[in-house]
Amino acid sequence: MFKLPGKSVVGATKRGHHDGLTLQAIDVSVRFGGLTAVDTVNETLHRGEILGLIGPNGAGKTTFVNALTGFQEPTSGQVKLGDRVISGLSPHWIRRHGIARSFQAGRLFRDLPVSENVEVAGVSMGLSRRRAHKHAMELIEWIGLKDKARQPAGVLPYTDERRVGIARALAMQPAFVLLDEPAAGMSDLECDDIMRLVREIPSRFGCGVLLIEHNMRVVMGVCERIHVLDSGKTLSRGSPSDVQKDPAVIQAYLGHG
Amino acid sequence: MTANIESGKRRRPSPFNYTIEAKSPAMLTLRAWWPPILWSIVLLLIVVIVMGLGNATLHKTLTDALIKLMVVVGLFVFIGNSGILSFGHIGFMMIGAYAAAWQTCCPKTKKLFIPGLPDYLLTHQFPFMVSVIVSGLLAAFIALIAGSVLMRLSGIAASIGTFAFLMVMYAFYLRWDPWTRGASTMTGLPVHTDSWVMLGFCVVVMFGAFVYARSRYGLSAKASRDDEVASKAAGVNVVGQRLLSFVVSAFIVGMAGALFGHFLGILTVDSFGLPYTFITLSMLVVGGMQSLSGAVLGAIVISTLFEALRQLEIGFNIGGSLVALPGGGREVGIGILMLVILIFRRNGLTANQEVYWPFRGDAMAKTAMSRRS
Repeated sequence: MFKLPGKSVVGATKRGHHDGLTLQAIDVSVRFGGLTAVDTVNETLHRGEILGLIGPNGAGKTTFVNALTGFQEPTSGQVKLGDRVISGLSPHWIRRHGIARSFQAGRLFRDLPVSENVEVAGVSMGLSRRRAHKHAMELIEWIGLKDKARQPAGVLPYTDERRVGIARALAMQPAFVLLDEPAAGMSDLECDDIMRLVREIPSRFGCGVLLIEHNMRVVMGVCERIHVLDSGKTLSRGSPSDVQKDPAVIQAYLGHG
Repeated sequence: MTANIESGKRRRPSPFNYTIEAKSPAMLTLRAWWPPILWSIVLLLIVVIVMGLGNATLHKTLTDALIKLMVVVGLFVFIGNSGILSFGHIGFMMIGAYAAAWQTCCPKTKKLFIPGLPDYLLTHQFPFMVSVIVSGLLAAFIALIAGSVLMRLSGIAASIGTFAFLMVMYAFYLRWDPWTRGASTMTGLPVHTDSWVMLGFCVVVMFGAFVYARSRYGLSAKASRDDEVASKAAGVNVVGQRLLSFVVSAFIVGMAGALFGHFLGILTVDSFGLPYTFITLSMLVVGGMQSLSGAVLGAIVISTLFEALRQLEIGFNIGGSLVALPGGGREVGIGILMLVILIFRRNGLTANQEVYWPFRGDAMAKTAMSRRS
């Protein structure tokens, strides 16, 4: 039902190129002055899987994603893409080498049309405008916004903004995509729609997905593995059912009782 | 956006009742290039009419206005695409103007006024076109050096950085006697610039600015303008793209400076200060910073208004008594207009849009409408 039309502009060659690649966080810590936002977190993300990253507000989830994508240099520890240490490199370099992200606040380019929002990723990675546009339109069709492709992104409703953010992150088929609360503030029906999109990502794009999400229904519905952070520390890791039963997790979410 | 995107499938009622549709390749090309084509025609008409009137003063005013227009288009290339307000570009204009003097004044004048020049420049004299291009290149080169530091800053810090650049260049040229005659007037530039020459340069520069804005580099710069963090996440090298637009715009403004020198024939450092910065920036703000049409329209509107206010300052004879605006009325008038625009039409007269293809099926017209509501 949601097949990309014909051959994708960026062919399957890139897909094979990344196979077996991992995104690894090794003892990653981020400290702001006296505050330790992320405390020696370890995680390995493989291609084709969906990993959930959950935790209460202020647990350091977004800071961890910032550390993985070059927006925040880890105070200690390393981020590795395959065998290559990428912590300390600039964000645009990391994006070009296959780690994409979306933002909690959407952060679209307000004055540019929806199509150009997605196109930017293509042209910044070397496609001509024509090819980048074709590629962008495929993605926009996938998220179901084809009829809004020419509207400026600034006038889009909230839910559409999120979907454009996801499409922008998936442009040029990154090896890993890190989605920061794509379903925040959405109704159940809209959540279902986002869940369907997220579930399709590994098979369609061959990416590994890291999903930050507060909505437990979404997390439990799409993730194969879950990593729970609390106050910057790993609280629990495992399958959704294991994590749900973990007393430490229950306590963190429901308080002492 | 290129022509292939524009082949509109849905029909919308047009405010015009023409049935001209862009279907043939020639029409599609015309539509894709419509803004610079339209503005070239408008400028051509203005020049033809003014030259037809045969008034020498008016001709000089028009040439001066076209030089400002070229500067504003240069400003647009940087400010419109990168979103950083620059107060420093008149510094590049000064660099271009003095570079033109170094190249084209006759050797006798140079030995007398600016003996500090290297021998090669002192003894040689270059043709007009060469001097304009080389002056632009020198400005671009200085922009590359200054920009590689300045473009690492963002927002207001970058703007203040460009202002500091202007002040540094101004102070430097004011005291660099052996090359610039310092505070004295540098004379002896051959006068080549008239309205026709400026029309040619303006047309070329408008097309150039339009090509840049629609290129992948322009798109990347615009992304960094709308959201710097998100553009990095989309793979945009923000510093690099800003630097590129800074260098391109400095090239244009530098050439305008050389043309300015060849227009007046004399140069003082004083002409390249805050007043010129203010008037060219107000043109861009009034027209709309993010579109080429805004830059051109703003330059036309402000130049016209400026000239009208100047006439008022000179005064009119009404019933035997002289009625005149007090001195400085021009600047006050422009300032008030700018305030009015900023309050009631924040995105300028053009609302940051390009002029639309006036015939059927222009998708961008609908886009603009939805944004305004």
